[in-house]
Amino acid sequence: MTQIQMQNNQPFDLDSIIYLKSGAFQKAVLDELAEGSRMIAFTPVNRNNPRQVACVFFNANISSIVLIGADLTGDDFRYESFANAYPHTNYFECELAEMYGCIPVNHPWLRPVRKQNVTSGNVPYKFFKLGGDEVHEVAVGPIHAGVIEPGHFRFQCHGELVYNLEISLGYQYRGVEELIVKSNPVQRIILAESIAGDTAIGHTLAHCNAVEALTQSRLGLRAEVIRMIAAEIERVAMHLAGLGGVANDIGFALPASSYGRLRTLAINSLALLCGSRFGRGLFVYGGTRFDATPEIVQKIIGNLLEVQHDVRKINEYFFSSVGTSSRLEETGTVETAVAKNIGMIGLAARASGLEEDVRVLFPYGAYRYNPVPMLTLATGDVFARTRLRAMEIEESLRLILEQLENLPDGEICAGSNAWPVNTGVVSIVEGWRGEIVHMACTGVNGELVQYKIKDPSFNNWYGLGMALRETPISDFPLCNKSFDLSYAGHDL
Amino acid sequence: MGLGLLQGIVSVLVVLGLSPLFAGLVNKLKAILTGRIGAPLLQPYYEMQRLFRKETINAIGSSFISRISPLVNLVTMIIAAAMLPVGFWKPVISFDGDIILFAYILGLSRFFQILAAMDIGSSFEGMGAAREATFALFAEPIFFFSFGSISFISGYTSLYMILHSIQHQNISYEVFIVICSISVFMLAVTECSRMPVDDPNTHLELTMIHEVMILDNSGLDLFLYQYSGYIKLFIYAILEISFFYPFSGQGYLLGIIIFITGSLVLATALGVVETIASRYKMKNIPQYLLFATAIGILNLLIYTFTR
Repeated sequence: MTQIQMQNNQPFDLDSIIYLKSGAFQKAVLDELAEGSRMIAFTPVNRNNPRQVACVFFNANISSIVLIGADLTGDDFRYESFANAYPHTNYFECELAEMYGCIPVNHPWLRPVRKQNVTSGNVPYKFFKLGGDEVHEVAVGPIHAGVIEPGHFRFQCHGELVYNLEISLGYQYRGVEELIVKSNPVQRIILAESIAGDTAIGHTLAHCNAVEALTQSRLGLRAEVIRMIAAEIERVAMHLAGLGGVANDIGFALPASSYGRLRTLAINSLALLCGSRFGRGLFVYGGTRFDATPEIVQKIIGNLLEVQHDVRKINEYFFSSVGTSSRLEETGTVETAVAKNIGMIGLAARASGLEEDVRVLFPYGAYRYNPVPMLTLATGDVFARTRLRAMEIEESLRLILEQLENLPDGEICAGSNAWPVNTGVVSIVEGWRGEIVHMACTGVNGELVQYKIKDPSFNNWYGLGMALRETPISDFPLCNKSFDLSYAGHDL
Repeated sequence: MGLGLLQGIVSVLVVLGLSPLFAGLVNKLKAILTGRIGAPLLQPYYEMQRLFRKETINAIGSSFISRISPLVNLVTMIIAAAMLPVGFWKPVISFDGDIILFAYILGLSRFFQILAAMDIGSSFEGMGAAREATFALFAEPIFFFSFGSISFISGYTSLYMILHSIQHQNISYEVFIVICSISVFMLAVTECSRMPVDDPNTHLELTMIHEVMILDNSGLDLFLYQYSGYIKLFIYAILEISFFYPFSGQGYLLGIIIFITGSLVLATALGVVETIASRYKMKNIPQYLLFATAIGILNLLIYTFTR
C-alpha cells in the first residue's frame, strides 16, 4: 500500500506516509487521477522540509481522501508534471513551485499564483497576447472603479467578443498559512475567520473540524447543529447577496434592492446568535461560544420565515422576467466536460452538471445525521448559477427551520485535549461557494508544522476565464458576479 | 424684439437652472419605487458643487481635444437649449429648418466627447467611444423620422413652430403625436444613456457606454460633462412634454401646471422603466433602436395613406 486512505476529519500518522521516489510517485499519482480523483492539496507535510511532499486527492468513487507521498530529494526538486494529462492539477503545481520551489518538468503553463517574480525570476510575467491588426487588449485592475478587491484581468478581444481572459491575482497575499502555523492557539480561530471575509463561518468550521479531529475532541450534538445552522445561514445570506448582485448587474433595480433587504435579515439572524453579522466569534474549539436560547431561536425563526416568504415571491418575479432570461441564458457557459477537466467545484460546478457537494460526498458534523440533497443544473450558464442559488436558498432555509424547531439538548462546548505528535488531518467543508480544504500536520512536539488552506476560489477562477470565451466583454461583470469568487480566499 | 430676446434668455436660464433638479427627481422616484429613501432631491446640485471645487487632472499624453471637449459639450447643450421653446416664448435661436441644426448640435457634443475619449488612449475609453458611435448611428434616424414626420404633417420645419402647431382639437393629429412621443421617449432613453440601453448607476467599467468615456475626467471637466448630461436629459424631457402641449397660449398658469405635471409624469415613467426593466444585451440594443425608427416611419406611412 503506497497510499493512505482516510475519511474526512480522520487523523493519520505522519510516519505512516511512504515517500515514493519520482518514478513510483509519478505512477501512483497518475493511477489515482485515472480513477477520476481530483487533487485537493499538493504540499510538503512539514513547512521546514519541502523535499517531502504529499499529494492529496478527493476520490468520490470510494468516498475517501487519498494521500500519496513523494520524496523529491534525489531528483533535484523536480518531478514530471501531471497537468498535460489532467489540466486541473496545473494550478496546484504552480502553487507548489512558487511556495516551495519544487519544479514540475514539462508543465504547460507555469505561472505566478500569488507572488509575481518567484517562478519566473525577476523577469516580468508575460501574459498571453493575441496577434493581428483587428484584435485589441483590455486590461482591467488591479484598481477598479468600484469598491471591490484587487485583481488583474486581461482580455484579448476582437471587437466586443472575448477570445481569452487571463486572470492574475495575488495582490491580497497575507501569508495566512504561515501566520496560522506561527501564531499561538488562541489567535488561530481569529485568523481562520479572516481568511475570506465572506466565508468566515465556512473557513472557521473547516479549521475547527481539523483541530478538533487532531485533538480528539468529541462535540455535543447541540454544538454540531448550531454550527450547521450558522453555516447554512451564511449560505443563505451570501446566495441572497449573489442574487442581488446579478440583478444589479443587469440593472434590474427592484429585485436588487429586495434581495439586499433580505440579506440583511439573514445576517441579522447570525448577529442574534453570536453578536456578529458575519458569524465571527461564534466558534471555539470543542463547540460554540454562544448558545441559542429559546428567545433567540424564536427571533431567528421569525426572521427566516419572513425571508422564506419574501424570497419565493421575488424569485418568481425575477426569474419570470423576460429581461432576466434574455440576459442570463446562454451567457458565460461552461460545458460539463470543461468544468470536469479544469476541476471546478462547488456551486459553479453543480450549475455545470457536476455532482460536487461535500455535504453529500463527505458528510461532516451534523450533516452526517441530516442529509441534504444534491442540487445540480445542466446548462452551466449564468442562468444556471443564478437559479441554483435560489434553489439552494430554499433548501437551506428548509434545513435551518427544521433544525431550529428540534434543537437537541446538551452542552455547547466540550473541553479540548492536548495536541498529538506527528499527526495530520484533512478537513473538508462545503462553504457557500464550494469545497474548503484545510490540512493540518503536527510535529514531534505537538506543534503545527504545516497548515494548508484551499478556498474554492482557487479552483474556480480559471472557470471564470473559460466562461468568458466567445462571450461579449460587456457581459464580464455579470459572469464574474455569477461566480462571485473571493480574491482574499485565493491569495490567502 | 427686446422683450422677445429677454424671454428667450429666461427660457434658457430655466433649462440650465432646473435640469439637475429633474435628474434628482428621476433618481428620487427610482429610489422610492425600489423601497429606499434615496439621495436628496437636490443631490445633483451638491455633486456639481463638489466637483466644481475639485482639482482637474488631465491624463498624461492627452491633447487639447480633451481640454476643450467638456466646454464644447456644455456650449452645445446651451445652444440646443436656446433653440428649445419653453413657455410661450419664442426661443433665442429659431429659424426655418432649425431641427437639422438642433440634431447636429447635439451630434457635435457627442462627436467631441468621442474624440476626447479616444484622445486619452485608455482601452476602456476607446471601447466606450466605439459603442457610443455605433449606437449613435442607429439613434440618428429615430430623431429624423419622428420629428421629420411631425414636421411633414404640420408643415413647419422649425422646432418652435412644430411644437406650437400642436393642437389637440384634431384627433387624427393627436394620434401622430402620441406615436411620435413613444419613439422620442425611446430616443431620449438612448441619448441620455439611461436604462434599458445604458445603466447610469453601474460602477462596472466594462459594461458602460456613456459613463466609461468620462472615466478619466475629474474636477471641473467632470463637472462640465455631468452638467451637460443633466441639461441633455432635461432638453429631451421638455421635447417630450411639449408634445402634450403645455404652451398653446391658454394662459401662463395652465401652461406651468401642465409643464410641472408633465415633468413629474415623465420622471415617474423613467423611474418605473429603470426599476422594472433589466438592461438589454449589448447586441440587442440596435434592435431596440431600429424599432423606434420603425415607429417614425410608421407615422409617415399612416399620414400618407390617410390623407
